[in-house]
Amino acid sequence: MLVLLLVLSIQTTLFKELRPFGVAGQVILLFVICAGIQFGISIGAIVGLVAGLMFDFVVSTPAGLGSIALGVTGATAGLYLYFFPSPIWWLRMISIAIVSVFGEMYLLIAQAMVGLGVVLELRLLTIIAVVTTINIVLSPGFFLITRWTLSERKKES
Amino acid sequence: MAAKNSTQRRAIILLTLTSIMLVTLDLQDSPRVAGLRSVFGSLFYPIEGVARVITRPVGNAWYGVTHYNKLLDENSLLRQQVAQQEGATVAAAASVRLSQELLALNGLPTLAGINAVTAQVIGESPTSFSQTIEINQGAESGIRVGMPVLNAAGLIGRITKVFNNRSFVMLITDPDFSISVKVVSTGRKATESTLQGVASVTTSTAVPLEPISNTPESETTTTTTTIPIAGFTAVVTTLPATPQGLTSITIPLASDLDVRETGVIQGNGPTRQPTVRFIDNSLRFGSIEAGVPIVTAGGSRSLAPPDVLIGVVSRVVERVGSAGPLLEIEIAAELTNLSFVRILLYQPITEKKSP
Repeated sequence: MLVLLLVLSIQTTLFKELRPFGVAGQVILLFVICAGIQFGISIGAIVGLVAGLMFDFVVSTPAGLGSIALGVTGATAGLYLYFFPSPIWWLRMISIAIVSVFGEMYLLIAQAMVGLGVVLELRLLTIIAVVTTINIVLSPGFFLITRWTLSERKKES
Repeated sequence: MAAKNSTQRRAIILLTLTSIMLVTLDLQDSPRVAGLRSVFGSLFYPIEGVARVITRPVGNAWYGVTHYNKLLDENSLLRQQVAQQEGATVAAAASVRLSQELLALNGLPTLAGINAVTAQVIGESPTSFSQTIEINQGAESGIRVGMPVLNAAGLIGRITKVFNNRSFVMLITDPDFSISVKVVSTGRKATESTLQGVASVTTSTAVPLEPISNTPESETTTTTTTIPIAGFTAVVTTLPATPQGLTSITIPLASDLDVRETGVIQGNGPTRQPTVRFIDNSLRFGSIEAGVPIVTAGGSRSLAPPDVLIGVVSRVVERVGSAGPLLEIEIAAELTNLSFVRILLYQPITEKKSP
């Protein structure tokens, strides 16, 4: 939980400032994807739901919306372990790219479902491209963080 | 293993139901969710503060690397603009002062009579989809949800979430932003006409202080208005002391005064200009042209007071049928580099709680 709070604080400070092409990187999304890819559907979904809930409380979108979107994203990422039980680094990278796209889309779909204004325009492609690229670049570090965080939790339980 | 799976499944179901319940409650503006947000914000704020201190140098370095050339160009451009506007500011301040005095004299509300809080922008939205900013003033400063937020150029948005010492501002470009506005257009060109009992009526932009009369100066009363008020032309009204001494009287024609149509402005995202809809198809002042100013409409139910500048019409899209024209608006405020903003502590009568 503490690690999630730290990731959230990085999201709301550093990645609010670093905006390549005007797009904010989504490290919370990356954290959830890494958890899902390493620990499977259930852990991915739980981490996504909790991380999303925390994220919802610091943004102005309705609380719970990001939680559902990130929960589904975590579960989607967890499918990697179902299809490829042995870790192959380049397959993981491709999975991160694909799930990042899905993650952004889930958030948009969730917003549209509750009637929030969603503008579909070319900028959406830029957002997806930048978020995906940032996620791929940062993924090695985040794999280590999620592995350390969730393994510790495992031992404790 | 089975027990572990069962626990995980239960956790997922519980969290999902919690999320759905929160979405439902938050969409109905439940005070409980607002309370939860506030509690989480209070807990999270110190952690975020520490993270901000640590990460700020990285952010500054990034900004320096990516925006250095732009910053230099912008700096020289701004210096030019400041030089040009210094003179204009003095005249504008005098006009505003006079306008406020006139409004106060007639018992009309003015922006000067509304208390305001100045706040610093401390962050943008952490997502790329919502157009919001975070400011460092909150409920402790009297800020409430819905209050209008301005910068020096005009309206930039409204408060959407308030915590004890910070708030979120939904920018005017957010697709969920909408507010009633007035389209201000000058009327038809002045025409010369004759009034009953008056030899001639002329409209003039000149500001002569002497009466235009052949009668001795002592027999004439002169009233002058010398400073132009935004939207209409200053005129001289010269009234004769006696009917026999009448020469000329100059008054603004009704058709010269501003004519207003109302509509609703709505954001369209950061890359597209906001649009004004619901403009009456049969306009009182003919057609709307580019460059016409857009200001807030005000009224007992509007979240903003009247006459706050929003921007100017950049394009008019004519539509068939009774839909009326669609106006694309160039916002007066620069929303990409906001540093300090002003929150008007204004609440419409319908929103004010009775003591």
